Amino acid sequence: MKLAMIYSFLKQDLAKIEDAVNETIQSENPVLREASGQLLHAGGKRIRPVFVLLAGKFGDYNLERMKAVAVSLELIHTASLVHDDVIDEAELRRGQPTIKSKWDNRIAMYTGDYIFARSLENLSTLDNPRAHQILAKTMVELCLGEIDQIQDKYTVEQNFRNYLRRIKRKTAILIAASCRLGAIAANATKETELALYRYGYFVGMSYQIIDDVLDFTASEKDLGKPAGSDLLHGNITLPVLFSMEDKEFKQQLVDMFKSEEELTSADIEPLLEKIQSNGSIERSLEVSDQYLSKAYQSLSELPNLRAKQTLKGIAKYIGKRRA
Amino acid sequence: MNTSEMNIQQLKQKIASQVRHPFLAKFIPEPIIDEDKLVILSSIMDHTTLSPVKREQYVITTMLVQIALDTHDLVTLTDEDDEKETIRTRQLTVLAGDYYSGLYYYLLSKLDDIPMIRTLAGAIKEINELKMELYYKDVDSFQEFLASLKKIESLLIQRVATYVQKTTINDMAGEWLLAKRLIDEKTSYQEGKFSPVIDLLVRKPGSLETSTQVMLSLEQMLQKHITRLEATVSQLPIHFKWLKSYIHMAIHDKFYEKPIVEEG
Repeated sequence: MKLAMIYSFLKQDLAKIEDAVNETIQSENPVLREASGQLLHAGGKRIRPVFVLLAGKFGDYNLERMKAVAVSLELIHTASLVHDDVIDEAELRRGQPTIKSKWDNRIAMYTGDYIFARSLENLSTLDNPRAHQILAKTMVELCLGEIDQIQDKYTVEQNFRNYLRRIKRKTAILIAASCRLGAIAANATKETELALYRYGYFVGMSYQIIDDVLDFTASEKDLGKPAGSDLLHGNITLPVLFSMEDKEFKQQLVDMFKSEEELTSADIEPLLEKIQSNGSIERSLEVSDQYLSKAYQSLSELPNLRAKQTLKGIAKYIGKRRA
Repeated sequence: MNTSEMNIQQLKQKIASQVRHPFLAKFIPEPIIDEDKLVILSSIMDHTTLSPVKREQYVITTMLVQIALDTHDLVTLTDEDDEKETIRTRQLTVLAGDYYSGLYYYLLSKLDDIPMIRTLAGAIKEINELKMELYYKDVDSFQEFLASLKKIESLLIQRVATYVQKTTINDMAGEWLLAKRLIDEKTSYQEGKFSPVIDLLVRKPGSLETSTQVMLSLEQMLQKHITRLEATVSQLPIHFKWLKSYIHMAIHDKFYEKPIVEEG
């Protein structure tokens, strides 16, 4: 089953959000308008708006209020992708040339900042200081997470706590914030809001762990990049952390990272084989499953609504994701 | 909060401690806190009825936005031959700018100040639109170019001034910040450093064909602007006494390159 099928009952509302997202980035400047639209028109799962809408179903669901939050979160995510492509020197995203490759880094910076500003302007229509506090904190954490990622690159002396904090900041908190802000915008009870926040956090952790596993197990075609790219770029993910329990593996990695600039896919091939066969993939998936169990547990605190089944379905889909 | 040398230095320290990040500090230069903008903002806030906490937070958050915008202007273009260090500096410059933007939002959200969040976000939006225009549009005239540059330099402060309903020094701020920017660009260029303004003028010639012509035009423009600025400053109301003397000193320091001795 496709992910979009799971939340198909939100189709109409999601279409309205899509329109609102497009409207929000209609700059008078033609280059800015084209650049801003470039990434949004290339598609994307719009998973953050989905979480906002589903969370809103547990309170007083008002589409205008939901829209303010959903549009802003999607735009913040988009702005961060535009800047991420400058950081990663990416040429393609969602099969389309990135803004930095179609224009240049400067245009990408202006575009990302413009989208960010539009996002905040849009959310300022929601007169709820707590929503702003949560989103603002999330944004700061997101940046810190990305800085951590650069700091931790090619560093083998790191532990599970480093990794978990990094993926929390990188992925989980924005999903958690989407769920929480949806609940806040719908004036849901505090208990509901926190249960949804926990759900989002746990699902986000699971999602990122699976993403990190897929980097070793999925095909180049599915990934759109060669397998093991994370490791090649010095990112130590969960399967690598488990593999490093083997001292020989760790030493090999240390030796390899000494010549990090000349590292090629062929160089890391022996390590990839070990990761794929030493049980670290299975152990990583177990950790992901544990997070998913916690996500289900968080849902158990919520009333039995269709949205609850949908959130369960999304968690299940994420847990089974293998490509 | 009354603007004074001591007060400005204290504000500078508070802003510096906000943007301090140990890992960033290791690899990218500490952000420059534009003291002139700080003085203008602080002087604007002096004459509002806002609480001292709010005045200070408005100055700090506006400066954080300015620092974020300035930091993103430092992101270099990609070159195939870029070395690892260059790439890492670029990556961290992108993230630092995002981080400083996040901080402005975070601080104002803690004050529950949604209207100010909107004011600053609106200014960021407009400034990026202007920057894009300037970057992509052929320069039709030097005047038009300067008008855009002036807006880019002063729009943030002017939007804040309008928000707190203290617009008396808006014109002066525009003149001063443009003149200052041109002086900085001229100095950079003369020192053999990269000057985005002069580069843009030389690259997109229009009626300006050589760097010598550009420099000559720049010099003439500067003279005109300084004269206009001095006239605007002298018209400021008496309660801007400290600001007036600050700007007079700054004009002499930066433009005439000979510091004047303070009276008394």
